[in-house]
Amino acid sequence: MRYKTTFAALLLLLLKFASATAQTGPGDLRVFGYFQAALGHQQDATIDRKLKSFTLQQLNLFLQKDVGQNWSAFINFEVANSYSSQRNWGAFSLEEAWVNYNRSKQFKLKLGLLTPAFNHLNEIKNRTPLLPYIIRPVVYESSFSEVVDTDEFAPQRAFVQAYGFIPMRATKWDYAIYVGNSPSINTDPRRGVTGIDTTRTFLFGGRLGVRHGFFKAGFSATHDKFDARVLRDSLQMRFPQFSFPVDQFQNVAQKRIGADLSYMAEKWFFEAEYIHVAYDFGAAQADFDKRFFYATLGYHLSERVLAYVSYWDAHENLLPVREQGFQVPTLGFTYEASEMVVFKVQSANAHFDGVNPEIDKTYNYTYCAVSVRF
Amino acid sequence: MKNFKRILLALVLWAASVSAQVAVIANKDVPMDSLNKAQLRDFYSYEMKQWDKRVPIAVVDLKLPGEAKEAFYKFLGITASRMKSLWLKKMLMGEGSEPLAVKSEEEMVQKVAVTSGALGFVSLSKITPEVKTLLIIAQNEKEP
Repeated sequence: MRYKTTFAALLLLLLKFASATAQTGPGDLRVFGYFQAALGHQQDATIDRKLKSFTLQQLNLFLQKDVGQNWSAFINFEVANSYSSQRNWGAFSLEEAWVNYNRSKQFKLKLGLLTPAFNHLNEIKNRTPLLPYIIRPVVYESSFSEVVDTDEFAPQRAFVQAYGFIPMRATKWDYAIYVGNSPSINTDPRRGVTGIDTTRTFLFGGRLGVRHGFFKAGFSATHDKFDARVLRDSLQMRFPQFSFPVDQFQNVAQKRIGADLSYMAEKWFFEAEYIHVAYDFGAAQADFDKRFFYATLGYHLSERVLAYVSYWDAHENLLPVREQGFQVPTLGFTYEASEMVVFKVQSANAHFDGVNPEIDKTYNYTYCAVSVRF
Repeated sequence: MKNFKRILLALVLWAASVSAQVAVIANKDVPMDSLNKAQLRDFYSYEMKQWDKRVPIAVVDLKLPGEAKEAFYKFLGITASRMKSLWLKKMLMGEGSEPLAVKSEEEMVQKVAVTSGALGFVSLSKITPEVKTLLIIAQNEKEP
């Protein structure tokens, strides 16, 4: 708590300094950001339980500065779910802090804490002004992380990324390759410095894509290994009849494969993604594979009004423990009141099903929100 | 008399065609004398952020709608609002900023003339010797 308060005070000091020195010309520190406040109504259709709540869903604060002819630095602070350290609500995090070297269109480099390129949405999932959604496609929605292992579907963080595009006539070939930590991060101060990868392996990943006019498609993949011995111990205790050799859980390979597609034509836009996550437990009788798919079709009713329908489908194996999935059809509208202010409405019908325990639940969500840039 | 009318009509048509044409203009320090549509689109959408010799590109846009703005974005094959979305995306990804925005074509010429690396567009009739013309777009020129 004391640490959080000190950090918040330091941030306030930094912002005060930044606002006093910020200019509008190139090379000066730029401070900008956005927030999204929402009113949500959630209904558990099975037992007719209703919840209504206001929330400051997300606030992001960016600092950007050109720090050399081809270099620029960028910092992204994020607070979520009406953050208050005093009341233990929500979360505050440093999402990104990187320096970008822009050599040419063919070669750019990001160094530092960054969100890596994976499919279409991963890099922009927290940029609420760019998205028509209030509730994002589930694996990109941090507020659903208690229901779905959102971190496992897409890589959250990397530390070095080289990227760029190669033009060939009217077509552009995009690439991005990156390196980051494996998911086995120390969170216990008694075991040493927290936030440090405890394995000898790295996350490696990349995306290859193509753009032609308003058509965009890509293929993404990542590979890393993590230490799942704690998980193994709990599995062995619960299922003594199965064999879970310790060595099979020490360095479990995790592979993500993704594909994305988007297209814009006149007033229409379409985007879709597929993600498959596979784990290699060797001879152990465990299967944690996951898959996710979403597709969105949107139509600009006017210059300021956008309507869309979207469908999300996910399936998670946690075998031999359980198996679960969910399907979410959703629709929404956005209204651009000004360049800085956008109103959003979204309704979703989320159906969760599972085996062990048997789950068959349907939730209706209706949200309205205001997204403000500053 | 007939000939006079014909000449007058031709002059009116020529004048109309000149005013309908749009010129892509740049500051005189820009190290290019011409550019093509693909380059123009890359520069305006911040895919390219520097001219040759590493001079930073300062994109200038017209705030208000008008004939020149409409013709310019039609030539690029993108609507002005979609271009704004691209700028917003680049800005929020930390890889660009919103362009300099001016209220009139006269102000556009002045801004481009005094801003190093500036790139803008105006009706052909608004060009002054203080700026460099890189490309002329005829209004009926379509996206290939």
